[in-house]
Amino acid sequence: MIPAVEFVGTGKVYRTGFFMRRIEALRDLTLRVEPGEIFGFIGPNGAGKTTTIKILAGLHESTSGEARIFGVDHRDPKARSRMGFLPERPYFYLHLTAREVLRFYGQLSLVPDDVIARRTGELLERVELSRFADVPLRKYSKGMLQRVGLCQALLHDPDLVVLDEPMSGLDPMGRALVSSLIREEQEAGRTVFFSSHILHDVETLCDRVAIIIGGQLRALGAVEALVAEHGNLEEAFLSEVDRSTPVDPKTLGVMA
Amino acid sequence: MKQLTSLALHTFQEAVRDRILYSILVFALVLVVGSLAAEQITIGDQAKVVRSFAQSSIDIFASLIAMFLGVSLVYKELDSRTAYTILSRPLPRSRFVLGKYLGLVLTLGVQVAIMVVVYTVVMTLSQGLPPGVVYLSFGLLMLELMLLTAWATLFSCYSGPTTASFFTLAIFTIGHLADDIWTFGSAAESEVVQQTARALYWCLPNFEFFSIRTQAVHGVPVGLDRVIEVMAYGAGYTTVVLAAAVLVFQRRDLK
Ligand SMILES: Nc1ncnc2c1ncn2[C@@H]1O[C@H](COP(=O)(O)OP(=O)(O)OP(=O)(O)O)[C@@H](O)[C@H]1O
Ligand SMILES: [Mg+2]
Repeated sequence: MIPAVEFVGTGKVYRTGFFMRRIEALRDLTLRVEPGEIFGFIGPNGAGKTTTIKILAGLHESTSGEARIFGVDHRDPKARSRMGFLPERPYFYLHLTAREVLRFYGQLSLVPDDVIARRTGELLERVELSRFADVPLRKYSKGMLQRVGLCQALLHDPDLVVLDEPMSGLDPMGRALVSSLIREEQEAGRTVFFSSHILHDVETLCDRVAIIIGGQLRALGAVEALVAEHGNLEEAFLSEVDRSTPVDPKTLGVMA
Repeated sequence: MKQLTSLALHTFQEAVRDRILYSILVFALVLVVGSLAAEQITIGDQAKVVRSFAQSSIDIFASLIAMFLGVSLVYKELDSRTAYTILSRPLPRSRFVLGKYLGLVLTLGVQVAIMVVVYTVVMTLSQGLPPGVVYLSFGLLMLELMLLTAWATLFSCYSGPTTASFFTLAIFTIGHLADDIWTFGSAAESEVVQQTARALYWCLPNFEFFSIRTQAVHGVPVGLDRVIEVMAYGAGYTTVVLAAAVLVFQRRDLK
């Protein structure tokens, strides 16, 4: 079966400043996410989670190795026709209403107009924003924008949903909502790949997790196995962090 | 196609929302006051002086707005991070740049159209309907604006608005002095200077080439061959600059 997501030796080096200083944000990541899985991606701040996700989203290009979505190279825009994406902090045209912004994204994903209208209704209802459907996003709170972000990620019924910290900025009800949305996606046969710092959610939702530290994959496996070994996911995570080599503050990559 | 129109229409809508079209009010005021003043102080052919003044006002206003909107066209989407959710769609970056560009051209088209209506009203009231060649000159102005905007878009694809403004203004100025570069080159003694001036002349845009201001003011018709020449030049050059913009934007990481 073609994996939903496949990284093969993927690396990313950023060049910053006048002297083009190297920052190795990701090194030799090899990872497969199988169709139908809920896959968790965890790691400390600055570990490279967002970098990895941005490569999938077509916002950054990897500098080494390969990355594929359902077998299609990440550089090809077509790779993203079956993918939905929620950025770490979503930003929209704030002068548009939720309904208008979803219509815009639907058009960009080439969804027929009647389907856009139906899905918009369903999704806004699902994230409890129906009452605000025709209010400009400028008047939305952070959590409400996050919910609009979820809607735009799911609008075109993608087979793969990639979420960067979907629970951040949400109240407890909002977090529960995201959890159940993720479960529903899996029940509908879809694949979910998400990063999070809320390990409890990751433990209860995910089939498998990857732990990334300093740009390198440190652990990869079934949640059950990690929990069996360490008691819970948090312990597994902390013991990985303890064992990892310190991060070089100059390059922010792992010290050689 | 749907992606392109959707992007273009949203770009247009945003410009309208930002009250860009209000600048036309200032234009109308300048036009009316200017023509009245010209009628008071000029001796000789008043009608031509007024037409010439009005024509230049439209040129300058439209160019300023084109540059003002163009330099932040792509940068704004990156800076406000709205590009994230747009470019993670199955949308080639080339189409994104083109959609934004077409939205801007649409905005300018509407802007120029309204100015031309204001112009016609003011002229008809003061001296009768302007000659047809005047309207041809506005058509060619649109082509000139499309090229200028393409340059602004190119700069906004890789730098912030300040740098982009600087470069765009430079191109705008040099593009209006292109004939002088040629003249300067031809007058030079040194072979090297001559060649360099010629090379520069061919690479840089020649905005004056689009202008048939003299004919428009004097009501002299312009030959079809000239029009075709200008159209071919505008279309060819604009395509090259836009292609460069796409190339620059294609490989860029979004911060
Ligand atoms: N555009 C960029 N230019 C230069 N360095 C960058 C850029 N983006 C990220 N980095 C660096 O790459 C490393 C990984 O960052 P990344 O955002 O992927 O971390 P993360 O795991 O998502 O962290 P967090 O949990 O805080 O969201 C960091 O050291 C960061 O400083
Ligand atoms: Mg992150």
